[in-house]
Amino acid sequence: MARVEYEDQLDDLRENVVAMGGTVVSRYDAALTALETRNESLAEEVIEEDGEINQRYLDLESDCIDLFALQQPVASDLRFVASSFKIITDLERIGDLAVNLAEYTIAAERERYPEINLIHIGTETGAMVSEAIDAYEAGSSEHATAVAARDDEIDDLCSAASDAIVEDLIRTDYGDEAEDVMDDVSRLLLTVRDLERVGDHAVNICARTVYMVDSDARLIY
Amino acid sequence: MSQNELNDGEAQTDSNGDDSTATDGESSTDSDSRLITTDVRTGESTGHGGSYETVVETRNLNVYYGDERAINDVSMEIPENQVTALIGPSGCGKSTFLRCVNRMNDLIDVARVEGTITLRGTNIYDERVDPVALRRKVGMVFQKPNPFPKSIRDNVAYGLEVQGRDATDERIEESLRAAALWDEVNGQLDESGLALSGGQQQRLCIARAIAPDPEIVLMDEPTSALDPVAASKIEDLIDELVEDYTVIIVTHNMQQAARISDKTAVFLTGGELVEFDDTSKIFENPDDDRVEDYITGKFG
Repeated sequence: MARVEYEDQLDDLRENVVAMGGTVVSRYDAALTALETRNESLAEEVIEEDGEINQRYLDLESDCIDLFALQQPVASDLRFVASSFKIITDLERIGDLAVNLAEYTIAAERERYPEINLIHIGTETGAMVSEAIDAYEAGSSEHATAVAARDDEIDDLCSAASDAIVEDLIRTDYGDEAEDVMDDVSRLLLTVRDLERVGDHAVNICARTVYMVDSDARLIY
Repeated sequence: MSQNELNDGEAQTDSNGDDSTATDGESSTDSDSRLITTDVRTGESTGHGGSYETVVETRNLNVYYGDERAINDVSMEIPENQVTALIGPSGCGKSTFLRCVNRMNDLIDVARVEGTITLRGTNIYDERVDPVALRRKVGMVFQKPNPFPKSIRDNVAYGLEVQGRDATDERIEESLRAAALWDEVNGQLDESGLALSGGQQQRLCIARAIAPDPEIVLMDEPTSALDPVAASKIEDLIDELVEDYTVIIVTHNMQQAARISDKTAVFLTGGELVEFDDTSKIFENPDDDRVEDYITGKFG
């Protein structure tokens, strides 16, 4: 086989993106646990460790740029490096959203709307990210397509949750409590939005994977 | 080959191309003994944009050197006013293919060509085709710049005179400008062409090749002997040339093929044309696994 060094670099890139995916998912899971158990010290950890994810993102970005500049990948190699280059951005953003969740956890002083199961939504989107990375690693466009299809249900759950919160706000007169309630409710709406975005990033990873494998940009647009 | 042979008394039309019937009726069988003439092209600007007409077409082309087959049953259609790149490993037949288009292989005794190559519908291997007239329509630029050991002016004048056109100062300037060389050699036209740098020499050769106003310019690795700056000037020039000419280029530099060509043909060992498609398709998502392996460097 020719270009052994180049082949090794491609393999390394794949392994490193998958490893970054693993780290991001575990931080996101930790943020969810912190949210569920109102564990502020765990939330602090998630915030502090985000720097490591950012650094890893920058390192991998630099690896991709080196590959483009020095090895000039074409065809499936080009699609692989280009997709990886985009996927690491999604992973980095999921890391940022985990930080948001951690910040909401620290800021929250009481639980509202316990009937809205945010953790269920978050667990499901986390699983989507994890499986999207599996599909990328295995080069399976079928798996990626199936994972992306699950996002509709997430969108429905998030939309129902937001509607329930807003409707309650309209219906109920909170009197003196109103200011506190507004704080909590905005944070809650942001939480719902962030969980939904994690699902969107999972879909992006799937879309890039389908493009990488099949040169099919259908999910991207 | 003497100058007299090249100047074999073609009927001339004026260079303005006013004669609108000159070349349009080629599909009908011509009673003229010469199927390829040096008449000036006309009607090229009638359709702007849209799809490109085929200018060269090969059908089941096979080329043998003695018993060895260098081109294996190649059929392809080369669009006009586009850059078509031929790529592939050494010995894949891409240069042989290029040399078939202006019958340079006629000069090799053991070479034998089967199948057809047509230039605007005329079989160029038809016995009534004068290969010398053909080569005025199909110019060639080689790997190593090969200007004549004459002045810059005479190098370009040669290109004009083979077409029977007067080598006026105006026409010489026009050709040098078209080859992006005028600004650099203006004022030293009587100096030797060999005194120029390699990149300038190559552009002088391009000026000489396009002076007879060919339809097609063949280029056989035209930048492989040049440094990157000189090569990039040639690449820019190719981009300009396709407004007036069809360019077919053999290159070993795949990034160059990717940068400058509209269509890419990939030949693999044995003279087989494995894939021919838009250059972006070849370099982003080729259909054939062997092409994928070749362009990603996993070949062999």
